[in-house]
Amino acid sequence: MLSRRRLLTPTVWSFCPPRACAVLGLLLGTCTANAELQDLSEQELSEIDGAGIGVVLEDFTFSHGTDTPDANGNQARIFKIGGLRSTDGRDVEIVVNHLYISGTGSNYGQNLSPVNIGRLVNPYRIDVVDGNNIGIRDKAVLEFAAPALVDAAQGYDCMSSGAIAGSGVCSSRPATADFVGERPDIGLQMNVAVGEDRSANINIHAKSAVIDGSYLRLWGDDDRRQMVGQFKLSFQTPELSINACSQDGQSCGSRITMTNFALELAIGNQLQPVFFDVDGTGNFVVEVAAIEPPAPGSIGADGLRGSSDAQTWDFYEDYYTNPDYRSNLHIGNFSVGDRDFGSARVEGMLIQHLDIRTKDLAP
Amino acid sequence: MNRRYAHALLLALALSSSKHAVGELDRLNDEALSEVSGQGGIYLSGDISINEMGGPIENGYFGRCDDAGKKCGARLAYRLKEDGGWMVLDEIRGNFAFEGLTLRVRSIDSGFAGDGEAFNGDVVEIGLPDTVRYNDVRFKIAGSNTPRPTDPGFQQTDIFAVEMQGDVIMEGNLLVFPTGNP
Repeated sequence: MLSRRRLLTPTVWSFCPPRACAVLGLLLGTCTANAELQDLSEQELSEIDGAGIGVVLEDFTFSHGTDTPDANGNQARIFKIGGLRSTDGRDVEIVVNHLYISGTGSNYGQNLSPVNIGRLVNPYRIDVVDGNNIGIRDKAVLEFAAPALVDAAQGYDCMSSGAIAGSGVCSSRPATADFVGERPDIGLQMNVAVGEDRSANINIHAKSAVIDGSYLRLWGDDDRRQMVGQFKLSFQTPELSINACSQDGQSCGSRITMTNFALELAIGNQLQPVFFDVDGTGNFVVEVAAIEPPAPGSIGADGLRGSSDAQTWDFYEDYYTNPDYRSNLHIGNFSVGDRDFGSARVEGMLIQHLDIRTKDLAP
Repeated sequence: MNRRYAHALLLALALSSSKHAVGELDRLNDEALSEVSGQGGIYLSGDISINEMGGPIENGYFGRCDDAGKKCGARLAYRLKEDGGWMVLDEIRGNFAFEGLTLRVRSIDSGFAGDGEAFNGDVVEIGLPDTVRYNDVRFKIAGSNTPRPTDPGFQQTDIFAVEMQGDVIMEGNLLVFPTGNP
């Protein structure tokens, strides 16, 4: 977004009368030959602050799915994900019956309405940021970010549908009587067919979802000569529900409802970024490398700072205590049908090593 | 018509046309120019086909879509590691049609529940076309050890394939603007 060069002199063309210029042009080759690009000095460059791109969706609605076939077996709308295979070798086909993004109060996707996504004063951003500001040393980092979290004095509670300013750290606002809000209802209804077995219908709905504070950062690793990343998902919804229905959607089983659901997932961090690759047989590899063990003798036998190399001790102390590297899951209440199981918390999960490889099950 | 009147009329026409002929384009001064307000915008209707029948390459691997033994979609392969494998968006084909995608510059200084006033700036507004008609749109996500299927030792693993057909509802406006301190 930044040019290291600037146009020193404007084109001469605009200053000379057309006819004179045409003659000059013939004589000198071109009138614009005087315009030059000159390097900016380090001082000038350091004063430039680049602009990213902000994106906001206004009055947005998205809906697609698969219709039930008519008498002739034709379908007006189809949305399928195929090419998968079960471990016993049967083809798996996911028929997406309905995927929607709608305003709050959609009644599980039945009444679609518009919603804003992102705020003009705190939009979704695509930006190249200075790595030194976010703990990634001497790198330019490509960042895709949801609206940033804000100070609790100005923000809104992330769960409450009636949240007012100053009640929390989320930037996106809930819907009010005269404003559509910035928290969409999102849902996915799908039929998972394994071979000829089409019995599995799974529906997932999130009401008034907020992903403020989420981001994906990508940069290059010099040592491994590879693209690396850092992914943080902060997903909060007052109600996340999962249920199974008959294929026509008429009769449904018990609904699993998770109220006040908050997931903070951190995959990769500044010290252990996540690597993406494809191996020699054409399978995906997602890897979070283990952190290097301390050099022998740098941590004292009693594990205290006094008997250890201070810098090494501080490094591991930060790695094991920094809450930014940890993943958390909070569920306010977990219920199945009319049975409540109370709240659940899984806190402080640290991914120390991760190696995911896809495997081809095709014969 | 009386002959004399006809002559007078012709003369008047000739004079008026010659008067038009001396009319020139004058420069607008800065003040006049500052009062000019542009009304701009683009209204687009589109019909985009990607390899609907088959691509331009015909060889042992690629061919017409009606030839069951050949692949007919477009292929995009990219690599994230030096000497690593290739991520592939494969067999991209189909047809999208939409009517009424709009593009304009919009000045926002109100609305958005108070944000418009604080924002007070210009955005590029892309008005989504309400419905986009997908006709047999397909693509596959895959991993491969070589960029091209015709390369020696080619091995590819398809991860999953997506197929879309029919009207997709896509309503609203996409607003794009610079952030930070330009």
